[in-house]
Amino acid sequence: MSLIVAAFGFGLVSMSIIAISAVGFTMQFGITNMINLAYGQVMIASAYAAYTVNNAGVSIWLALPVGAIFGAVFSFLLNRLIYAPFQRKGTNLIGMVIISLAVSLVIANVLLPIVGYYSVSYHQNPGPTYHLGSIALTGVQVAIIAVAVIVMLAIYALLRFTRLGKAMRATAANPTLARNCGIPTGRVVDLAWLITGALCGVAGTVAGMNSDSFSVASGSEFLIPIIAASILGGAGSPYGAMIGAVLIGEMTEISAAIISPEYKQVVAFAVLVLVMVLRPQGLLAKRGALAAAG
Amino acid sequence: MLVSHHRVGRGVGVLFAMLTVALAACGGSSTPSGSSSKSPLLIGVIAPFTGPDAALGPAYFAACLPAARAINNAGGVMGHMVSCQEFDTRGEPADAVPAAQQMVASHSNLMAVVGCTSDEAASVAPILNQAHIPMFCMTGQSEFNKTTFTYFHRLVPPDEFDAFAMVGSALDHFNYKRVALVFGNDIGSQAFVGPAMAALQGLGATVTINQAIALGQPSYRTEVTAMLQTHPDVIFTEALGPTDATYMSEVKQLNNGTMLPFMGTSATIDPVWFAAVTGAIGVQTVVDKFTAVDLGVSFSGPGYEEFKANLDAVASQFPDAPKYSQRGATLHLYDGIMQAALAMDETKSTDPTVYNAVIKDVGNGVAGAVTVNTYATGVSAIKSGQKVRWVGAGGLTNYNQYNNSQQGYILVRYDASGNEITIGTLTQAQTQAIIAAGGG
Repeated sequence: MSLIVAAFGFGLVSMSIIAISAVGFTMQFGITNMINLAYGQVMIASAYAAYTVNNAGVSIWLALPVGAIFGAVFSFLLNRLIYAPFQRKGTNLIGMVIISLAVSLVIANVLLPIVGYYSVSYHQNPGPTYHLGSIALTGVQVAIIAVAVIVMLAIYALLRFTRLGKAMRATAANPTLARNCGIPTGRVVDLAWLITGALCGVAGTVAGMNSDSFSVASGSEFLIPIIAASILGGAGSPYGAMIGAVLIGEMTEISAAIISPEYKQVVAFAVLVLVMVLRPQGLLAKRGALAAAG
Repeated sequence: MLVSHHRVGRGVGVLFAMLTVALAACGGSSTPSGSSSKSPLLIGVIAPFTGPDAALGPAYFAACLPAARAINNAGGVMGHMVSCQEFDTRGEPADAVPAAQQMVASHSNLMAVVGCTSDEAASVAPILNQAHIPMFCMTGQSEFNKTTFTYFHRLVPPDEFDAFAMVGSALDHFNYKRVALVFGNDIGSQAFVGPAMAALQGLGATVTINQAIALGQPSYRTEVTAMLQTHPDVIFTEALGPTDATYMSEVKQLNNGTMLPFMGTSATIDPVWFAAVTGAIGVQTVVDKFTAVDLGVSFSGPGYEEFKANLDAVASQFPDAPKYSQRGATLHLYDGIMQAALAMDETKSTDPTVYNAVIKDVGNGVAGAVTVNTYATGVSAIKSGQKVRWVGAGGLTNYNQYNNSQQGYILVRYDASGNEITIGTLTQAQTQAIIAAGGG
């Protein structure tokens, strides 16, 4: 029993990281209609950007914004230089998915000669360990959970209370109508890539902090639970992605405690398949902030 | 509309430019420094260069480069210059098959292929054998113990022997009785688990837990907590990429800052593994708490010195090459390439169907064969009408009827610089005794 409780505690950290990344991933899809399979590689590239700063002697907490800025700029450029031209040409969704897959491979293979095939670790102090029953979390892990909570609240506030958030929701619901209503949808899309790219950068850096070691190959591993959480919650729904992250994060950890670590992803995906069978649109697709108004 | 076309064109241009850079980066090949009117020969390095096992490929590429340099400096193989080329399998059979097929179809000048780890050997070896290309594989799978592939060669023992050597070292050298098995869930790593369990149980030790962990996960805290609850004396492990680093970091963290002793397979004697794990748990912890079994290599002698000199010299082509000076796999694959080259010289043929059978003779030696440690002396001896026996960087070769060669094991630690320090020896006879006792 204590192992299950401990696993639940570790699941809080996992779900925090998945939540940050999955919200960014699903917002990209919701607003720009782009399933960006290069997301995991952008996470890793951002993690390496933060590592470069951290390795130069800067605190990882100061390097975290560098990772976020790198992710934002990188994602913005990816869209402007590669994705947007294809979308304007009328490339369909499947075609765009294939292009993003190609971009993912290109990023990984360009990164390899730059950063090498060595795994790296941030220079960080894990801080004191906090105990709550069988749950034991380090200071860094508690901070990661706090970062996730702040990011989630910020995204909620953005979408709910700001003009930009409303413009994003309108663009996601019907870009043509939004444009006819005077919303500068092009600028909204640019800002969406910057914001979701920043989330991607933050997610990559905190994932690197949590795992203690990462390499170029980690990108594809990061992507799997992100996609699962996004689909589980309802593609394009940030709040659904948050719920999906909770479920995927906790299921993977608890199943590792109950069944076998070998099957922890299998269990998570079995639940995903079950949800897809019972509710193909995902848990919150109809009520997501980026879904059609009304 | 025109603007749209231009933008799409620009996007395509960027994509192709990036692809070109990427392909140039990952599909690199060495070029021979010398010149010759004869057609060049190629050594294919087929292994994972990307993916979770990406650390393996460079160790094998580091074997090829010094071999090619030594051969080319001696005038090439009968005047044919030699170069090395990487073929990435990503550690996946599904990617390995097209990589092998492309390699064979595109390069009619392959003199030998090295690499083929457990990740891909089962799918690659049949292709190479059918194409009549001598291969020197690093797979540890027992299915190759009695292989019928005549072009297959293995200069390292099967993984089960690694597992038996770990068991022998843990029980005899350290007197550990309770062992946790923590291996990656990939084909190569799992090959150790069955033999280790059988040997441990057969010799009266306890397997406290057997964890097959998914590679590359961001965290293993639940797995580590479960493992710690079983109170092992030592952890046996092989989980490549960042996996062991993450796992061991969490062991230290969740065990109140105290690391448990952990013991690795010969694959963990690797600069990439060392860098990853020391980055996560600190150099001193690795020096104090980690041991590994490695192939029985002395890292000395004229064959090793020749290898080391050439390895250092190829740093201009591959800056990390000198870091592989004590990687058993690197040494043995270097030897394999040399044996193939000398077999070509002995048979005066570049046709693999002619020289393949002679590789075994060059490795084991035939009656009256003269021992050679460098390619140049080998060629010289052959030209004077002598048969040669190659004793190179990895020492003696003793191929059996299935072209499997085995030696004893050494028990090693790392020093703070990542160099291997021998702290014990297991001869082939001792290993065989453990195999018998463990029911192997």
